[in-house]
Amino acid sequence: MPTRHLIVGAGTAGINAIRTLREEEDGAASEVLLVSAERPYSRMVLPYYLGRSIAESHVFTATPARLAQWGVTGHLGRRAVALDAKASRLTLDDGTVLAYDDCLIATGSSAVRPRIPGAEGPRVHTFWTLDDAQGVMRQIAAGSHVVLVGAGFIAFTILNAILSLGARLTIVEIAPRILPRMVDEAGAALVEGWLRRHGVEIRTAATVTAIEEAGGRRRLRFADGSEIAADVVLMATGIKTNLEWLAGSGVRVNRGILVDDHLRSSVPNVYAAGDVAEGADLVTGAPEVHAIEPTAMEHGRIVGANMAGRDRAYRGSLLMNIVGVLGLDLASFGAWADAAAETAVAVRPDRAAYRKLLFTGDRITGGIIIGRSEDVWTGNDVGMLKGLVQAGTRLGPWKAHLMRNPFDLKTAYVASGTTGRLLPETILRRPSRSPGRAGTSV
Amino acid sequence: MRCELACSYMQTGRFEPAKSVIRVSPYEGMTSYAPYTCPQCAEAWCMTVCPVGAITISPVGAKVVLEDQCVGCKLCTIACPYGTIFYNPATHKAFKCNLCGGAPACVEACPTAAILYEDVETQDWLGAFAAARSAPLLAGEGR
Repeated sequence: MPTRHLIVGAGTAGINAIRTLREEEDGAASEVLLVSAERPYSRMVLPYYLGRSIAESHVFTATPARLAQWGVTGHLGRRAVALDAKASRLTLDDGTVLAYDDCLIATGSSAVRPRIPGAEGPRVHTFWTLDDAQGVMRQIAAGSHVVLVGAGFIAFTILNAILSLGARLTIVEIAPRILPRMVDEAGAALVEGWLRRHGVEIRTAATVTAIEEAGGRRRLRFADGSEIAADVVLMATGIKTNLEWLAGSGVRVNRGILVDDHLRSSVPNVYAAGDVAEGADLVTGAPEVHAIEPTAMEHGRIVGANMAGRDRAYRGSLLMNIVGVLGLDLASFGAWADAAAETAVAVRPDRAAYRKLLFTGDRITGGIIIGRSEDVWTGNDVGMLKGLVQAGTRLGPWKAHLMRNPFDLKTAYVASGTTGRLLPETILRRPSRSPGRAGTSV
Repeated sequence: MRCELACSYMQTGRFEPAKSVIRVSPYEGMTSYAPYTCPQCAEAWCMTVCPVGAITISPVGAKVVLEDQCVGCKLCTIACPYGTIFYNPATHKAFKCNLCGGAPACVEACPTAAILYEDVETQDWLGAFAAARSAPLLAGEGR
């Protein structure tokens, strides 16, 4: 039976869904339509483009040639404006109506700016899209003073790039500390010290009230009456899920589109994946929006397999983040902020190393690792911590050992048999294929 | 730790154990040792998470990093649940075991034949070995 699949959004979730669908079909020729406002590119690599360590061509994920090879009918440069889930029809911004048998909503999220005077003015940017990146690149030069408003994960991903361009950097954060949603207070204090030692200026508990013109530059005014001048202002003040266009569609929405373990929404032939999906958290089982790259990838692959009729259930997504700033790596996993968990904390100030492990019973349900990139054990431990949380290993006597020494993850990981628990695990119940070997059948 | 020396030489052209992708852990107060490296798992968490397709499967079945494609975003290092893919701050690239193209230097270098290169069903070689040799550590001795 010929089927028509409609993919809305060409980010990580959408592209992984298409690739997996073609892999799973293995010769069959269903119809695939792709709607995307932009050419498919990877948001994850934009900071490296900003820092000029990669060329623009490097950011694109599915080139026109790849889409043709996949037999995808593209509606690129178009936005979805309305979904009629009852009739299985999608309307685009140019009035085109597309009928589908099943549909994936993977419309991602957008950057938001604070509602203050001047937030939309010249030399004030968000850093979210390829267009944003190009706008910022045109305006940062060696010696520029860049003010980064917001000290969360997004801000930290572009910190290295800004500094590598020779700019001077000031970070402004409304909360009393940096990275409020990625690491705990002790971890943030360590990172803050590291950044200050490397010449980054940081203002916490600082509320920007207005951004004004000041002789070709920008002037930021603060609630406490102070002000600073900037050549470029970058707003890293959060993101919002792109859901408004689904109003009246019949698809059930909470913070995101509520999905079951097959990534199906309340409408059985409509899937959601990535930033717009609110699905099970691997650790808690509770519905969460995880606007992170690995979740978008796994969601997308599960949807692709299900669209191909494979009946693949998803265990849930694991919250994880990593960012490197000036040679210091920060990673957090799972329920790292769970106040009900038992915690073990250790700091080695001489090595700028920090570990926090959170236990529920004798399982690790979350954790934070901070350490220098050159410290080989940081890299080792980051993966092993992820493995311990993902496998839900019952640690037995190793819990007490790790409570005493949170730095000795490796011994506990190996001796608790975590490798053996993880080896049989695959997302699609089969070995993954090389990215270059996606289905070429159509 | 000859395997670490041999491995780092194959990976980087220098004898620098810190760059080895096989890592040896001591057990029972340094009386026994366990070498640990990438199990070349079926899921290939590092490969599937890579946003630019910079990890692929080599002819001998190793998951390998294509250096000219890797942007150094470190996503693979958090996605890999085995802790066996690393970031090199000097090159800004990820690196991992590539099975030396089918003739692993660690195997060749091991003087006690403790490392074998065989194509078998994936399994956890070290878990039971390490667990059986962990009593002193769990009793609060060792380090």
